[in-house]
Amino acid sequence: MSRTRRQFLTAAGAGGAALLAGCQADPVDDGSDTPDGGAEPTGTTTGTGTPGTADTLVVAAYPPFVDAPSTSPGAWLKRKFEEEFDATLVYQTPESELNYYLERAIQGVDFEADVYVGLDTGQLIDADNRRGEGKFTDPLFAEAGDLEGLDRVRDGLMFDPQDRAVPFDTGYISLVWNATMDGGDFVAPETFEGLTESEYEGDLIVQNPTTTATGEAFMLHTIKQFGPEGYLDYWDRLRDNGVTVLGSWSDTYSAYENEEAPMVVSYSTDQVYAAAEDKDLQKHQIRFLNDQGYANPEGMARFADSDAPRLAREFMAFMLRPEIQAGIAQRNVAFPAIDDAPLPEDYSQYAKEPPEPVTFTYDELQGNREEWTDQWARRFAGG
Amino acid sequence: MDRPVGAALRRRVSRVGRAGALERRALPLLAVGTALLLVLLFYYPVATVLVEAVLEDGRFTFGPLADVLGNEFYVVRVFGFTAWQAFLSTLASVALGLPGAWVLARFEFRGRETLKSLTMVPFVLPSVMVAVGFYATFGAAGTLNDVLGALGLGELDLLPSLGAIILAHAFYNAPLVTRVTTAAWESVDAGAVETARSLGASPRRAFRDVVVPQLLPAVLMGATLTFVFTFASFPIVLALGGARYATVEVFIYSAVRQLDYADAAALATVESAVSLSLTALYLRYERAQTAERRDVRPLTRERLVPESWTSAAAWTRERLASRLAIAGYAAIVAVVVLGPLVSMVYASLTVDGQLTLDAYRFLLRRQVSGAAFQVKPLPAVLNSLLFGVATLVVALPMGVSMAVLTTRKFRGRTLVDALSMAPLAVSGIVVGLGLLRGLVFGIEAFGYRFSASGPAAIVAAHAVAAYPFVVRNVAPPLDGLDRTLVESARSLGASRVRALLDVELPLVWPGVAAGAAFAFAISVGEFDATVVLAEGGGTYTMPVAVERFIGRRLGPATAMGTVLLAVTAASFVVIERVGGGFRGR
Repeated sequence: MSRTRRQFLTAAGAGGAALLAGCQADPVDDGSDTPDGGAEPTGTTTGTGTPGTADTLVVAAYPPFVDAPSTSPGAWLKRKFEEEFDATLVYQTPESELNYYLERAIQGVDFEADVYVGLDTGQLIDADNRRGEGKFTDPLFAEAGDLEGLDRVRDGLMFDPQDRAVPFDTGYISLVWNATMDGGDFVAPETFEGLTESEYEGDLIVQNPTTTATGEAFMLHTIKQFGPEGYLDYWDRLRDNGVTVLGSWSDTYSAYENEEAPMVVSYSTDQVYAAAEDKDLQKHQIRFLNDQGYANPEGMARFADSDAPRLAREFMAFMLRPEIQAGIAQRNVAFPAIDDAPLPEDYSQYAKEPPEPVTFTYDELQGNREEWTDQWARRFAGG
Repeated sequence: MDRPVGAALRRRVSRVGRAGALERRALPLLAVGTALLLVLLFYYPVATVLVEAVLEDGRFTFGPLADVLGNEFYVVRVFGFTAWQAFLSTLASVALGLPGAWVLARFEFRGRETLKSLTMVPFVLPSVMVAVGFYATFGAAGTLNDVLGALGLGELDLLPSLGAIILAHAFYNAPLVTRVTTAAWESVDAGAVETARSLGASPRRAFRDVVVPQLLPAVLMGATLTFVFTFASFPIVLALGGARYATVEVFIYSAVRQLDYADAAALATVESAVSLSLTALYLRYERAQTAERRDVRPLTRERLVPESWTSAAAWTRERLASRLAIAGYAAIVAVVVLGPLVSMVYASLTVDGQLTLDAYRFLLRRQVSGAAFQVKPLPAVLNSLLFGVATLVVALPMGVSMAVLTTRKFRGRTLVDALSMAPLAVSGIVVGLGLLRGLVFGIEAFGYRFSASGPAAIVAAHAVAAYPFVVRNVAPPLDGLDRTLVESARSLGASRVRALLDVELPLVWPGVAAGAAFAFAISVGEFDATVVLAEGGGTYTMPVAVERFIGRRLGPATAMGTVLLAVTAASFVVIERVGGGFRGR
């Protein structure tokens, strides 16, 4: 590796001057290892450390991980990590998330990120499917290897058959419902079948599976339930019963808060927010259809060409420590990936876990996911 | 008759004469610069994406494109529905926008100028905020139903539906129709109307034969733009219509999200082809419409409120009818345009119906103690203003010089004109992706990788997106100007640029001011390119901040949306005040 940390930092520092000009030209090595001109990802990133500190770890994450209006673990994690390790943690939060790095790999442009935080099964499949395209030849992620604390991660959560991605938290997709509607008489149905009954006509809001992760998870849950042959018929029945499918999670949640309908697809940790905001918990009831919740574990993985592999591994092990796990879970409003995270008493009171978590494995999803989503879009848009 | 322009001309002409070579070449140079910027910031990046529609494994196969065109679902359902909703949205926007132009252009009342400036405000509002406002206003538990309920009328279930999509599109685009039509109406020559009247035409007849032909290009311009915009509509469709009403752009987005670029590119190619053809059609029409005008003395405006309420002359039947019509129109505007805006502001001030300033406290707290890598309100405001002003400075000369260029007669100018309008007609998602590949990642050449991002690139991208509005507001009146005015100035020794600045610009100034307002609005409201080109170092804007502040609580995002509303409203008033000054010189 010809590129050094210091070079990156100077480049990032010089980036300030280059920003004014807005453009730059950097010499190209012989293709394989391009020094990057400090072109950081889209969205907002900064927090560049002062040149000369021992080491820098560049952590890529989705924007709300560092910058949510309520709580997000980013700032706290950075402080905790830097207190203990003689290193600077820099966040990169590209708006297009992992696609930003896949694009770079395909175009043959180098990037500085060392670890990606917030990977799900679908994204991992995307990354693997794109290999071989353009200049994307080497593996994007490295195997986690013998990571301290890896044995603590709950079995059901491990989603990468090649052991690159390590789960650091998980969420469950469920229904959130409002018990104050229908004059206080509303009760959500207990089963998928119940949702198609006429008494629940027009009562459910769902996200679009082709544009959102929660919508996709709910669609996958219906495939779990009715099979690849039967889920489209089930959606026909849902549509006939007046289901509302909107574009993003926030579109649906604001429609739900405006009492457009008494049920919305969301996360089973919904009451954690509601309680913290002193909201009426009657409006934030949780229902696991058929006693199941679709699990969406979030993973982290080390980029294969990271030039701080040791630090990246230390960071990943650090993320799995019980007290850090508890801190992430509370700030990201999710469940820890390990069993013995020291969470406060009332957390489990508000964060509901499904009696039976279900999810599709990497192998089940690979090769099917796109087709399932496309079929859904065509059938549903046809109406 | 001593016309102000004539006087200005004489004064100026005496001072010129030694025009430098640079000044003489300024216009062609600006045009070349515009073309370069277009290629660099638009055509090259977009080409890197669209090429996937025709290339497979490096060979031209046109496979993906043929797949889309041969697919009944895409052609009939997706493109058919997209065109249908765009058509309805255009009708609604024109219907809602035209009366506004009539009121603003033909009536004098207190705050008219301010109101005219504020017509641009809906244009910059992020779609998420419009969705929030629409749910609060038109939703099942919204204000409209509360009012209907209080009046003892039945409830409406408007959301989600095709109707909601169309209403929201009208909310966005009616101001655009109002804006361009008002500018055209204000350049209608009173002399021509008087001549018609003196020749015995009734007011109605004079309106039909003299005024309408001069307004029609502007109305069709607004309609064409509305169609092109709503044809590529995306967030509004997702938020208010849902999956059943998915448009082409929704399918493009979901293909990009799945990294299926061949499909995305093929769909985007067809989409752009439709939009560009329409634009070219409009341009041909616009050419055919130009009527030469010697000079412009604007029509005098009628007082909206009579001087004396009691005199019988103040209340003729005609007067009464027009005032009632205006009152009715104002009521509709209050529901469709003001309703969602007020609802959004209200949402920023309440939690569960209780008034609170929590959301604004959040903004303050984030400003004071937010981490360096988090989005803060004040830099967002400053960046938006800075980019907006810089965009104005770049886009106005670009637009005016392109307008001058395309009003000359040469072969293939409709093509040049259409190509220079392309930034309006190509999917925002594709432009964003293209900028990422073509600019942020850079181009390898001569052993170097050239890349561009940061403020300069953002301003350049905004200017490319905005300048077509300047062209379209300036070109038609410029085309209709009396050539002899320019020629006399030139023969008296004025350089081409002098003639432009001293003779032509003052005559088409309402168009330039309207174009300036649009340029600023485009820059403030732009999201896709900004987010792609914004590097670290905090080059985010107000819409980006709104997007980041969306969460389970509506407060923070709506509060930031309210800040955006206030800042842009104030800016538009300032632009109008400053811009309005030129004309009276």
